[in-house]
Amino acid sequence: MNELPPPTVFAPPDPGAAPSQGVPGAAPLSGKLVVDQVSKYFGSVVAVSDVSFAIDAGVTALLGPNGAGKSTLFRMLCGLTPPSRGRVSVLGADPRHDREVRGRISLVPQQDALFDHLTANEFVELAARSSGVVDAAGATASALEHVDLTDVGPKPVGQFSKGMRQRVKVAAALVNDPEVLILDEPLTGLDPVQRRHMIALFHRLGDDGRCVVVSSHVLDEVARIGSRVLVIAQGRLIARGDYRDLRELMDDRAHRIRVGASEPRRLAAALVEHGLATGVMVESDHVMVDALDADAFGRRVAPLAVGLGIRLTEVFPLDDDLESVFRYLVEGRS
Amino acid sequence: MTPDAPMSIDDQQRAARRGSVSAATAFVIAYRVVLRQLTSRGRIIGLTALALIAPLSGWALGTADASLDDAVSLVASVGLGLVLPVVSLVFAGAAIGDLREDKTLVYLWLRPMDRWPIVVGAAGAAATLAAPIAIVPIVLAAALTGAGNGIVPGALLASVVGLIAYVAVFTLFGVWLKRFIVWGLAYILIWEGFIAQAGAGVARVALRKYTRSILVDRTGADLELADFSLAVGIIVPLVVAVVALAIAAWRLGSQDID
Repeated sequence: MNELPPPTVFAPPDPGAAPSQGVPGAAPLSGKLVVDQVSKYFGSVVAVSDVSFAIDAGVTALLGPNGAGKSTLFRMLCGLTPPSRGRVSVLGADPRHDREVRGRISLVPQQDALFDHLTANEFVELAARSSGVVDAAGATASALEHVDLTDVGPKPVGQFSKGMRQRVKVAAALVNDPEVLILDEPLTGLDPVQRRHMIALFHRLGDDGRCVVVSSHVLDEVARIGSRVLVIAQGRLIARGDYRDLRELMDDRAHRIRVGASEPRRLAAALVEHGLATGVMVESDHVMVDALDADAFGRRVAPLAVGLGIRLTEVFPLDDDLESVFRYLVEGRS
Repeated sequence: MTPDAPMSIDDQQRAARRGSVSAATAFVIAYRVVLRQLTSRGRIIGLTALALIAPLSGWALGTADASLDDAVSLVASVGLGLVLPVVSLVFAGAAIGDLREDKTLVYLWLRPMDRWPIVVGAAGAAATLAAPIAIVPIVLAAALTGAGNGIVPGALLASVVGLIAYVAVFTLFGVWLKRFIVWGLAYILIWEGFIAQAGAGVARVALRKYTRSILVDRTGADLELADFSLAVGIIVPLVVAVVALAIAAWRLGSQDID
């Protein structure tokens, strides 16, 4: 991605407004990967709406909930489907129609589909040969080594675990030494050790000058994938910038927490009195609390309850999931 | 990088490690992949069982000392009209249709390869599997009728020409249509088996009429809806095959890939 300014959170679109002219306030788009006012419709369904960004060498994370439009965006970047509106450019060419540039892009698709009758070696070598790799056997061995799949033998990939299949897909994507590597939820099915290994690999590839774009719907995963983040929800680019800044922005919002207690009414009054809650709603056996500082609330609620002789049965954050973060970014601070 | 910007040294080194993919290489890659994808025991056993209807019918007719016209009619209806198109449909429709449906087509589509060798390679793989399962029983059926008089070479020629045309057309179905088996069966059973029987004009757009014409030309039998010359009977299906594969290649390049 080009040098990113401080995090940008885009306002919800005004239905009556004209299409945006690229990223607000940004210079004309240029980069290895350019998405310029791109929309994609499937019939009456808008999968991607007026998205613009440019990415250069390094690792960029595309964060968004399931169904946000990440895969559709990736498909357009690889030329698998044309944009309904706007322009997609990869390495200066149209990936849909430029045969040569397709040899310089690799995709790890989200779907768990492989040629199940092939061995890992055969599958990766097929990718090498079909990409015109001169030393297909050597490149295959190297790619399999990158993902720790050198000793899997003649077992067909159809008999592999999900994690191993993911690694085979990554090896096949690496085998042609691509300049642009697009990975759609590549960490799915991997155990923690494999995830760490894979994320380290992405960073090595990015440091090596490749343009690596990785999608995920898991917030904490994105924190490890890369500091440069694009956030997409409901088909729109809703934020972009440094992950830490975005995270701080997200943490500024009011948090809703369910607190189970033996005396919810007394506890609610005490929470307001001590400034731990900006709003409370008392139910029969719990209190719904709106707290601005979730960390302070977490630290102080138990001692406060003990001091009052109230027994706590649960302290459960209701909006710490990714969906609520996206909702917050889409709707603004509220 | 802009379109006019030179590649960096790293990019140049990477490009040097990648050559271009020739049409022959693309053909071989697609052929091998599709051949192995299509080779399933259930599919082969099922279609072989279906194809055995032809020699069994031929043998039954042969033991009844039937006429040449009856023998040619049997080979034309059961062999060329049922076994040949159905076997071709199952293999050729699945050649690219299965890759499209199980979402593995992306691994071929996203490579720097022309589309037409992929389509021709896939059709070639389908023909490789369909040929022995369809043609051998049809020729065997012709022989078992005991009708002589050129029925065996006629059945062989008609089967080969028909196989090429059906495989190409059904490969196109697999590229284009989601329910390619249903559409293919509708073409075989409803169009060719029913509507095209209504008259010579409609029959011109049914491949079956051309394969029947070859068989009749080689045997001299008297069969309805089989009045094309040998040249027309051979050339038209081959032209149809080329056109179908060309459309399939265009369609493969222009359609959305999952």
